[in-house]
Amino acid sequence: MFAMTLHEFDFKLADYYGLLLFVGVVIGFAVILLSLSQIINPLKTTKVKESPYESGMDPIGDARQKFDVKFYIIAILFLVFDIELLFLYPWAVAAGGDHPAIPGGFGDIVFIEVLLFFASLLVAYIYAYRKGVFRWR
Amino acid sequence: MNITELVVVLVTIGIVFAGVMTFVGYGSLLERKISAWVQDRIGPNRVGFDLNQPILGLFKGFFGLGQPLADGVKFFLKEEFIPKNVDKVFYFLAPAVALSTAMIAFAVVPFGSTSVVPPLVDNRIDLAVSQPNPNYQHRVYPRTHGELDKIRAANPFRSEILDQARNQNPNIELPKVAGFDLGRSEVRFGIAPHLDIGVLFVFAVSSLAVYGVVLAGWSSNSKYSLFGALRASAQLISYEIPMGMSILVVVFMVGSLNLQAIVEFQARHTWFIVYQPLGCLLFLTAIFAECNRLPFDLPECEQELVGGYHTEYSSMKFACFMMGEYTHMVTTSFLLVAMFFGGWNIPFLVTQDFPGGALGWGAKLVVFCGKMVAVIAFFMLVRWSLLRFRFDQLMGLAWKGLMTLGILNTVGAVVILQTRPLGELSLWLLPAWSVIALLAVTGYSMTRPKAPNRFRTGIKRVDQRLPSHQELVGNRV
Repeated sequence: MFAMTLHEFDFKLADYYGLLLFVGVVIGFAVILLSLSQIINPLKTTKVKESPYESGMDPIGDARQKFDVKFYIIAILFLVFDIELLFLYPWAVAAGGDHPAIPGGFGDIVFIEVLLFFASLLVAYIYAYRKGVFRWR
Repeated sequence: MNITELVVVLVTIGIVFAGVMTFVGYGSLLERKISAWVQDRIGPNRVGFDLNQPILGLFKGFFGLGQPLADGVKFFLKEEFIPKNVDKVFYFLAPAVALSTAMIAFAVVPFGSTSVVPPLVDNRIDLAVSQPNPNYQHRVYPRTHGELDKIRAANPFRSEILDQARNQNPNIELPKVAGFDLGRSEVRFGIAPHLDIGVLFVFAVSSLAVYGVVLAGWSSNSKYSLFGALRASAQLISYEIPMGMSILVVVFMVGSLNLQAIVEFQARHTWFIVYQPLGCLLFLTAIFAECNRLPFDLPECEQELVGGYHTEYSSMKFACFMMGEYTHMVTTSFLLVAMFFGGWNIPFLVTQDFPGGALGWGAKLVVFCGKMVAVIAFFMLVRWSLLRFRFDQLMGLAWKGLMTLGILNTVGAVVILQTRPLGELSLWLLPAWSVIALLAVTGYSMTRPKAPNRFRTGIKRVDQRLPSHQELVGNRV
């Protein structure tokens, strides 16, 4: 259907050296920036300045309080869906395009399997929906 | 990696750093200017370059162009006090994480025309017999001078191409400019532009930004910070799923995660916003949330949480969060442009056949960056156009609205692409399906009752009509 799509399958580790170098440079930049400002700027602390901000009042109790369990549930659901999604990328890369990596794009059997995979995702989604996880009260 | 490549990479890193940091500074100025214009104010117009110089002196007070520099100096010189009960290690770590994850994600983003080069010999492996497929062997580039010219125009400075060309066909004259072998140098617009994991890398690294926010909130030992961090973490992870889902069809159509390959595909065919309008909408919404921009800026909404997770941060540490946020905006805007708006490509004007050489790269660079700036200006206009969501609306939008839309869009488009019911025309089923899915989900959501009543905590949903203003107030007047 499409005209030519080009694939480069040769993996070259040398492509990643620049990335590694960049990571080093960025981390160095952040460290230098933070430590330099720590050295340069003046530091005069008072008792009031040191206390955590609570709208000008004296802080009441510990800041690290219990929080709602809904945040945990959202995090668990995130793990489920994000990992399911991550499994779909390799398939999309290998089977997609007009000249798929595997000639014929894995064929219909694998496609049906992927649809079943989607269905499993949908089952989890509907279950969570019906359980009222997304109803944020 | 030889010394030439090292120098090339270091120079690219320097250019990227300078470019991004300049844009971060002037982006904040642009934001203040746009905010001022929207509110019919003037905005910063005092700080200019008052240097009594022939060139810079012209910019004296001009549009407040000196403001970002003044801000930067101030970030260094202002006091950076540390509250008493903070967790020191994480308190220092958080801004560094926020800044560096945002910057690292930029590594694979191309910002100019870095063409995917046609393979010289198509060495696709036939899995059935585990050896190069003889059917593909005829595609040897370049066979003629015309093909070599095409490759040269697409990517004149990639050394291995020219080396391979020399190996394939010793009779071909390799290009030389002023007696200098061009094959030995390389021009690139991107730090690691040849990575095949492109989009996935950006997603992986930018989702690490959650750690910066959570560490900041937890270590600050302030209630505002903690609540801001909680909201931020829930928001960021929730919007990552629609974000990942929105580009799945794009990846499926191109068959590659490489951003250059995606741009090249759009240059040959049509922009993906035509095929995937719904995917584009989902991605746009998700990046607004991922960048903590209004209407999704609940992690740091100043009316409720003072500053959210960076309440207790001052001076340079605060600036690190700011820079991280703006860098994230730049990265995601580049992604949006590269994946849905054709990258450096403008139909009929700047196309694949646009003249190569310095003119071609310059034009493509300007087009790419111009589109990115337009997206950022859109970010800033939306800030003053839409109201902030409530938190339950925010989570509802991600998990009920965008998630459903994403699943519908992806499954429908993949089925269309695989079965192709209308032959060549079936591509046009994709936008049609997008519109149908959007209308269906919107219509269904309109039949649902309004947001849950906060004062009734019973499990049973209460379908009640809210009293009108007339009913509430009218009788008493």
